[in-house]
Amino acid sequence: MANPIIQVQGVNKEYGRGKKTVAALKDINIEIMPGEFVAVVGPSGCGKSTLLHVMAGLEAPTSGRILLDGVDVTLISERDMPKVRAQKIGFVFQAFLLIEDLTAFENIEAVLWPSLELKKEKEEAMALEVLREVDMLERKDHFPRQMSGGEQQRVAIARALVNNPPILFCDEPTGNLDSKTGETVMKIIASLNKDRKMTVVLVTHNEELVKYAKRILRMKDGAIVGESKSRQE
Amino acid sequence: MVGKGLEAPGPDWWLWPIVAFSVATVYAILISQFRRRDIAILKCVSWSNPDVMLLLIGEVVVVSISAFLVVFQLTVEVLGVTQYFVGTTSTPLVTWLTNYITISAGPMFITLFLIVVLQIPGLILAQFRANHIPPMMAIREE
Repeated sequence: MANPIIQVQGVNKEYGRGKKTVAALKDINIEIMPGEFVAVVGPSGCGKSTLLHVMAGLEAPTSGRILLDGVDVTLISERDMPKVRAQKIGFVFQAFLLIEDLTAFENIEAVLWPSLELKKEKEEAMALEVLREVDMLERKDHFPRQMSGGEQQRVAIARALVNNPPILFCDEPTGNLDSKTGETVMKIIASLNKDRKMTVVLVTHNEELVKYAKRILRMKDGAIVGESKSRQE
Repeated sequence: MVGKGLEAPGPDWWLWPIVAFSVATVYAILISQFRRRDIAILKCVSWSNPDVMLLLIGEVVVVSISAFLVVFQLTVEVLGVTQYFVGTTSTPLVTWLTNYITISAGPMFITLFLIVVLQIPGLILAQFRANHIPPMMAIREE
């Protein structure tokens, strides 16, 4: 049996200092197997985005351990964390987070620029391949301001894929999109889970999106309060 | 002094490196300030602090050399125009411009070198600021 690709062990996260601390995460324990599609749902402010940021190593937990593919990211220094992000994690954000001064193609290629061992031609081929995968090849020379929200999110997905990471974290990926465009984006994410066998962790407050997941974790007040399998399974 | 560079330093020669240093430092600080979101995004997608440093160095060096080449090109253009009129119109302005702009290559390239070197303290400061930009900043400021 395969080992879990994501292990969250006794994770707590507190903000603030002294008496004015707010517990954003309370004793979270999760194991996610390779190739799983897990949705974390709950009302706004329940800590689901914090959980995602902590799992992705963007924020440090106050206590507890996070293992990504066997690597304890809580023990990794800030200097070595970029390597882990490059090898293991793709991230899709609600606000797309594309660099405004770069074209769609350059936004994707920028992820590969620090990889000095890659030749320019190889980088370009990899960027074009993922743009093709999200059906954005024709818009490769457009800047973010020249694209719709759905198109920007597809570019952001392509950027998350270009390193071919095994894990994809999605933080409210349809939050800034209309329902039809959101559906298109979710189908792309679902196809990555199905075809590429990527492990997907989706955070959302939209109950309609849980149909894409195989496993659903419910959060409330910083704690996991329920777990279920998707009805589609 | 500006036109003649290091070829004919006057008594106030020390003022110009200070001005160049100040401009370079302010520019480097502005880069790290206005590129905060971009730097945070790049860190989110796996860039390290040394990668960001290379980006800042690249931007500062390219801008310095571009500015130098633009001034060089303008100087050549002005010199060409003034030379065209030399002999036909010997106005004081033409004579002054010719004397002021004509400069030999050696001091010109030493000036460029000094401009690039004067960027280093500003770059160190910019890098220090960039190192302290967390990837989470990109998410929080949206």
